[in-house]
Amino acid sequence: MINRKHKHEEPEDAEITSWKKKLILSWILTTPIVITMLSERLFDFQLIKMPYSSIVILILAFPVVFIFGWDTIKGGIRGLFTFYFNMDSLISLGTIVAYTTGVFYFTGVVQDYSGVAAMIMAFFTTGKYVESKARGKASQEIKKLLQLGAKMSRVLRNNKEIEIPIEEVKAGDVMIIKPGEKISTDGVVVKGESSVDESMVTGESLPVDKVKGDNVIGATINQDGILYVKATKIGRDTFLAHIIELVEEAQGTKVPIQKLADKITSVFVPIILTLSILTFLSWWYFSGDLSKSIGVSVAVLVIACPCALGLATPTALMVSSGMGAKRGILIRKGEAIQTMKEVKIVMFDKTGTITKGKPEVVGIYSKIKQQELLNIVGSLEKLSEHPIAKAITARASLKKYKKVTGFKVLRGRGVEGKILGEEILVGNRTLMNERKINIKDFEKKIINYEDKGNTTMIVVKNKKLIGVIAVADTIKEDSIIALNILNKERYRTIMITGDNERTANSIAKQCGIKEVIANVLPEDKAKKVEELQRFGFVAFVGDGINDAPALKQANVGIAIGSGTDIAIEAGDLVLAKSSLIGVVQAIRLSKATFKKIKQNLFWAFAYNIIAIPLAVAGVLHPVVAEIAMALSSITVVTNANLLRRTKLK
Amino acid sequence: MKKLKLIIEGMHCASCASNIEKSLKNTRGIKTASVSLMLKRGTVEAEDSVREEEIRKAVARAGYKLTKIE
Repeated sequence: MINRKHKHEEPEDAEITSWKKKLILSWILTTPIVITMLSERLFDFQLIKMPYSSIVILILAFPVVFIFGWDTIKGGIRGLFTFYFNMDSLISLGTIVAYTTGVFYFTGVVQDYSGVAAMIMAFFTTGKYVESKARGKASQEIKKLLQLGAKMSRVLRNNKEIEIPIEEVKAGDVMIIKPGEKISTDGVVVKGESSVDESMVTGESLPVDKVKGDNVIGATINQDGILYVKATKIGRDTFLAHIIELVEEAQGTKVPIQKLADKITSVFVPIILTLSILTFLSWWYFSGDLSKSIGVSVAVLVIACPCALGLATPTALMVSSGMGAKRGILIRKGEAIQTMKEVKIVMFDKTGTITKGKPEVVGIYSKIKQQELLNIVGSLEKLSEHPIAKAITARASLKKYKKVTGFKVLRGRGVEGKILGEEILVGNRTLMNERKINIKDFEKKIINYEDKGNTTMIVVKNKKLIGVIAVADTIKEDSIIALNILNKERYRTIMITGDNERTANSIAKQCGIKEVIANVLPEDKAKKVEELQRFGFVAFVGDGINDAPALKQANVGIAIGSGTDIAIEAGDLVLAKSSLIGVVQAIRLSKATFKKIKQNLFWAFAYNIIAIPLAVAGVLHPVVAEIAMALSSITVVTNANLLRRTKLK
Repeated sequence: MKKLKLIIEGMHCASCASNIEKSLKNTRGIKTASVSLMLKRGTVEAEDSVREEEIRKAVARAGYKLTKIE
């Protein structure tokens, strides 16, 4: 981690510092040139007698162009020979041509543009400096994220507390984290109680209480108690490392709208070179004025700006990623930003997405002795990993489990097995229908539970009903707020669940969701998404573990989870805090970002479309052209930074 | 196939990033390449046979310096 951090931090700062140095040195020499030239042009006053002034300018301009601007000249010339043209190729050709006129000036054939060369280089350097600073600002949040990891850790070794670099921490080490300290790596609390500020990683603003057995995330801050944490994940496997990887990869993904700009950027420089030569030839041919022709063609070279085009999307995406990361919204694919605009339907998985995903038993109806029922059901459900099974097992909290044979999980429907030779079946209506078990006797009771939004598990022994267990999963408070906002913004909100219709409708009503697709087996969710895609683009919000296929099928997959539980590889967007408000924010952020990208591309295109013909027409002085060029890319980056003003909620 | 992360020095404009991408993609065995100017990083997917040296050369051909491969 430490190495990574340094690698990230230095190049950017080094770039800014180096531009700054060049900028200062360039202007020290360029300022006298400007004064000399202006006093001649504007006041017809010669500070230094001709031709000495030309010699002085030639001498002053040399270091500006060829020493302080050496990196640009070198890169540019190299580009011309290797056919990997870039921005530098244009600037270096422009300045070299301009400077050379100063040498030939003494032969009397051309006007002296050597001062102009220095001014172009000085303005170019200034522009690059401002731009690199703005770019640094655009990536500030992401850089903060990259540096978030702890550097040192206090661990217990041989019953002694020692501080060691984070790289030396091994899984299994017990770390001691005092109040106010950073938790050095992912782990599980083995001793102590505290609350932990996880906002930097998950965007969750309230501290989260941690007690023995709870998972903690590396790089989060311990608030008030001492925590003893056993390290479980280190290095590249930590939650933070995964987030960083994801954010970095996202920067490499492309937003489709950028394609045209990228294509143009890649052929831009050779086109401008050709255009500049043509401009020179036609000006010379038609006007016969060599000096003017050179001036105009230099202006064409330096006004063209592929940078504005190339920066339009990545800078906006960068700012947006940073804003998202701060709120626990991770953009995995740039494409999602563009697609989000088209989304008409937002589909939510129920369990764990709209609800807390921690179901509890809220009612038991039993025809036999209740404890007897719990003994049977508890023993059976103990063997399943399903949240409902866990809730039932927890409620039964048996000391001794009965022996189960022939246990089987019936996905999305229930479980079955044999206890003491008796066939036990625990499951939902679908399962009962499937097995042709008549539930008429219990119907009223079941409906009663379902109307309250409970999920009912019907218990059957040897094909006879013996009880019903009602399980409820509480709705997250902010689900209601978030759905309300989405409904107001005219999204079609749909809940998808394995629950039966009555239960699902009740939950939907409580949280304000408009439509319900009930009785869906987990593996069919993706198919349902596909069916809905006939009506428009679908965003699917789900947990990323069970819902991975649905997330993939959806036009925009939004994976949601709390802290380390999220499957970060699923979904186009990942929400690290388990709140649907994040969905609202993610939608708003995506839309705002895309708008910003469009704006940027518009300005970049408009600039080049207007400025290049003006330069060809000869109405722009080369120095003015260079200033305009520098301003255009600064504008684009600054505009991207303005994205931060967007209110997400 | 392997996925490599590159840290690249010397980029300062958008055409720089696209030049490096172009040069990398023209290298035999490299399937995909994407370079971020903002992060000064790149990612390539390459066949296992591709040596680090070839990637380094591809970056150098476009005029930039590859400082690290992960």
